[in-house]
Parts: sequence; C-alpha cells; structure tokens
Amino acid sequence: MTIEISEFKPMEEVITQDSINRYAELSGDFNPLHVDVAFAAASEFAGTIAHGPMQLQPFFRSLSAWLDSDAFPAGTKVSVTYRHPARPGDTVHFEPLSLVESLDEYAVVRLEGQSVNQDGTLLAQIDATVPIRRG
Amino acid sequence: MTDNLLSNISYDELVVGQRNGPYPFRVSAELASNLAGPIGVPVPVKWTPPAVFPTVFLMALRRSMGGIPSGSILAKQQMELLRPLAVESEARVVTWIGEKYLRRERAFVVFEFEVRDDQDEVVLTGRKVIVWPNGPRGDLTHDN
Repeated sequence: MTIEISEFKPMEEVITQDSINRYAELSGDFNPLHVDVAFAAASEFAGTIAHGPMQLQPFFRSLSAWLDSDAFPAGTKVSVTYRHPARPGDTVHFEPLSLVESLDEYAVVRLEGQSVNQDGTLLAQIDATVPIRRG
Repeated sequence: MTDNLLSNISYDELVVGQRNGPYPFRVSAELASNLAGPIGVPVPVKWTPPAVFPTVFLMALRRSMGGIPSGSILAKQQMELLRPLAVESEARVVTWIGEKYLRRERAFVVFEFEVRDDQDEVVLTGRKVIVWPNGPRGDLTHDN
C-alpha cells in the first residue's frame, strides 16, 4: 500500500467575527484580542484575531476524512507552530506539503503541512505523525 | 461556561512544576459536534474530535489561573492522543507549568496537560507555549 499526499482532501475554514465569537463561546476563551473589537484595534494586531486552534480546523478535518474516523489513532502526535494570526475575512486552507511513510506492518505516516490564508500568508506550520495498521 | 473569563496573573506568580487539578469535565455532544466540521456547523460524532482538546486545555487554564490570561498569545501547541474519548463520557485534566523563559524580549510560559478518562487511563497529553503579556517584575514585553 502506498499513500499519496493527494489523498488528503483540501479543507478550508472561513473566519468571521461571528465564527470567532462562536469559538469563544464553545471554548470559554474570551480573550479581548479575539472578541473585543475596540481593545484589539488598539493592540499590536490592530484588530481582532482568531483563536489559534481555529487555524487547525481544516487540518483536523482533512486528517479525519482521510482516516474516516472522528478520533485519531492512539499514538498520533500533532505539533503546531503559529506564525501569523488569522483574522475576520480570512479563508484558512490546509496545505499538505510532504508525506513520509514507513514500510513496517504498523506504518507511521508523517504529514507536514501548513495553514495559509487566501493571500498565501503562512499562518501555522503543522507536523503530524499518525500510526496506521496496514490492510 | 461559568468560569471567570480573564486573569491578570503575572509572570512572576507562575510556579514551575506546580500541578493544578484534576478538573473534571464532560465533552458534551454540542461541543463535539460543533468542532467536528466547520466551526459552529454541527456534525454528529461518537468520539471526541481532536479539535475539542484545545478547548479542554483552555478550560484547565481558566480553572488553574482564575481565567484566561488577558493579552496572551498562543505560540505553539502539541498534543499526543493515546486513547479515544467517547462523547458525553467523564474525564479530567491536570495542568502544570513545565517551563517559563525569556526570548527576544518576550516572556514565554509552557503549560503541560494530561487528560484521563473514567478508567484512569491517559487519553491525551499536551503542551501549549504562550507568549505572556508581561515579564519578570511586571515589565511589559509588548504593547497590549
């Protein structure tokens, strides 16, 4: 079995102030940089920014779709470095960049990718290792 | 969510190694479904989707510090998933500060997390690196 990087379906997340507010309600994170327009306008960001994990949603959905599972396999590791905040009006895409597959019976797939917005601005770098059982 | 919203705990007050919790929680079907697909578009799921765990980390931070640190910025996040967690099952999370340090005139704080299910099995471990809104002695490290 050979896994192709094209198997990871492109996913996107449209960021709006409403979706940021919804994430704040779901997570309980009402940091004013996310939800207080006046506060955020006076900050170094000059406006509200999305919660960091919102940038991961397209990656999570892409990997879930590939695995055909709500839950990721035991031993899955995900590492994210945030490079730039997403803002209202951004459309965040997950772009898989490289795929390394071991050849053992219990394969470990290493997927490197990034979240970018509609302008190609790098928002986050993502490195995931996923154990899968062949066959 | 009935916890306090924001905390102004200072960098100097953060104690490395001090464990906080366990904080019990239940992943509601509403939370899980709203984070399984596009945010806020419910998709029914049986197992807790990974996008829920960052919100569990946030809950643990709120409870351990009396709120989310106002003006803080998430720099890095890591998680290792060890067992699936059924939606609506009971679990608990422990958090502690693994490290705090200064780099490029900014203060960074590393929070560690461990989630266990109702069988006391580790479901997930995680880590967040946060840019703190102030540094030693309360010095501001950036303009928030």
